[in-house]
Amino acid sequence: MGATDAVVRSGVVSPFQASLRVALRRMQEVWARIRHSRTAMVGLAILVFFIGMAVFAPWVAPYGPIDRVADTSNCVPGVTCPLSPPSAQHPLGISEEGADIYSQVIWGSQISLIVGIFSAMVASVLGTAVGLVSGYMGGWVDEVMMRFNDVVLSVPWLVLMIVVAARIGTIDLLGLILVIGLTGWSITARVIRAQVLSVKERLFVERARMIGSSRSHILMRHIFPNAFPLIFANTILTVAVSILSEAVLAFLGLSIYNTVSWGKVINQAIGGGALVIGGNVWWLIVPGLCLVFLVFGFYLFGFALDEILNPRLRRR
Amino acid sequence: MARILKVMVRKGVNAAITIFGIICLNYALLRLMPGDPALSLTPRDPKYQGLAEYNRELFGFDKPPWEQFAIYLQRTVTLDWGVSYRLGLPVFDVLMRDLGWTLVLVGTSTVATIIIGMVIGSIAAQKRGKPFDILSTATGIFLYGMPIFWLGFLLLAVFEKGSIVGHYFTWWPALPSQGYYDDMLGPWSWDGAHLTSAAQHLILPALTLTLGTLAGISLVMRSSLIDVMTEDFVTTAKAKGLSDRQVLRRHILPSGLPPMVTLIALDIAFVIGGAYQVEVVFNYYGIGWETIQAIDNLDFPLLQFIIVVGGVAIVLANLVSDFILLLLDPRIKVT
Repeated sequence: MGATDAVVRSGVVSPFQASLRVALRRMQEVWARIRHSRTAMVGLAILVFFIGMAVFAPWVAPYGPIDRVADTSNCVPGVTCPLSPPSAQHPLGISEEGADIYSQVIWGSQISLIVGIFSAMVASVLGTAVGLVSGYMGGWVDEVMMRFNDVVLSVPWLVLMIVVAARIGTIDLLGLILVIGLTGWSITARVIRAQVLSVKERLFVERARMIGSSRSHILMRHIFPNAFPLIFANTILTVAVSILSEAVLAFLGLSIYNTVSWGKVINQAIGGGALVIGGNVWWLIVPGLCLVFLVFGFYLFGFALDEILNPRLRRR
Repeated sequence: MARILKVMVRKGVNAAITIFGIICLNYALLRLMPGDPALSLTPRDPKYQGLAEYNRELFGFDKPPWEQFAIYLQRTVTLDWGVSYRLGLPVFDVLMRDLGWTLVLVGTSTVATIIIGMVIGSIAAQKRGKPFDILSTATGIFLYGMPIFWLGFLLLAVFEKGSIVGHYFTWWPALPSQGYYDDMLGPWSWDGAHLTSAAQHLILPALTLTLGTLAGISLVMRSSLIDVMTEDFVTTAKAKGLSDRQVLRRHILPSGLPPMVTLIALDIAFVIGGAYQVEVVFNYYGIGWETIQAIDNLDFPLLQFIIVVGGVAIVLANLVSDFILLLLDPRIKVT
């Protein structure tokens, strides 16, 4: 880590700033490689498309996420509602509740992205903290943390999440993010721990220990910067998993009440007879395809990053 | 051998600790949730009167928390799990009945996933960068990102009786898509008609689950083998003139397989998660379907042990994979 020393010597910067600069410099190197990876660029293009959709939803979507564009007050949903097929005015038709499905699909990108990204951040911060401490401390700390990790990894969270929701009755955005984030950190913790175990044995860490650096100093200045690229790639993969978790929860009926997500649109499509003969199949297919492509984008980008950051996978 | 035994004992103890942890966490979570736990565990709905009384008595819901915990532990161990409100049957019996069907579904899909995934992964690794590799990897990542319930509905829309495709093409195959065998056959018995019907009903759910989890195996198989292929001993093997096939079978597979075993155990957890969705989509009355019913009916006695059973299944899958791993590769360190 000559780079860190050089940064510290060249000016008045705190050790944390120095380690951040090293991490940033490594990120710049990584960016150069990303630009040459077709996989990563395709993934990135998909992500940019959906992020654009989410950001510009208020201007792109013709109607609000739960606006009624058709009068459904005189019918019993699921029994007598006229199912409106796609038309020029409503490209994906009208839902049973009288909403414009095309608009709902556009608005849905917001929830998927917000929940996906923020839950992944919660999971990554937790997983990184546990992985760093567990891997570096070793001994009984590691033992206790890994047993707890095993428990968290083995509990069927899907069931627990729905039970929680059934008890609360409804859920808001923050609740959804916390539920997915707090249950999704254990794989990250394992990955980071393994990386720490290997970095720990390298010569520069040994050297730092020899000259009497404190544990927290070694952890923050030497081990964290080296694990950072991996943490970053892992977070992107976790976003994909979190987006899927949100969709599954929404499909099973756990979603935020005053807005829509793609999982919720699919849930309503099934309830609204999208699969019946003569039904509006696009109601089911389009939100599902959006989910698949968004997750595909995160996976492509994440896997490409992983390949770039994990030197053993690089073509020799 | 003594060392392997020692490691096995240690892994077994760890698994036992984990199971105990799951049991404790389950107790805490269900009772720390907002709302009155005594009320949800023994609701005052008149139709549950007798059952609620029975469960209250059994789990001592009027006793102080630490005593309740002791009773809960004792009941858990003695398999005396109370009575399900929805069905009015002992929870243990209900879960064992459902578990059988879930195991059929999960077992079929897991075996299919492992075999197909490993074959695709190793071909892709050998043909790295060629069209097959690019196509299979892209398809793999695509399927990997597909919500399993959505995939299930697509297959349902295409293959169920009276499906949209079948509506236009009379030759299109129609597969049964609801339940685990034809209700017309009456109660289950081990005869040809029942078995055939059960096998037909298994096709769509198992296909969904297999397609949804296949990529987890094939992608890691591919990268794990590529990892080994860059080792010096593989170059040496090639240099001494072995055919590609020989190099693969004698040198690459033996070192590339052990990491797969761990992955397969993790994958089983993923398959079990997927099974919940598949069972709901196809009304396959296993544990997953039962879970959703239990939630809709707030059948807490059933729910609290569904979580325990699910957790224990995953721990045991991990334990078995650890044992296989040890037998395959005794150099593995105790971690």
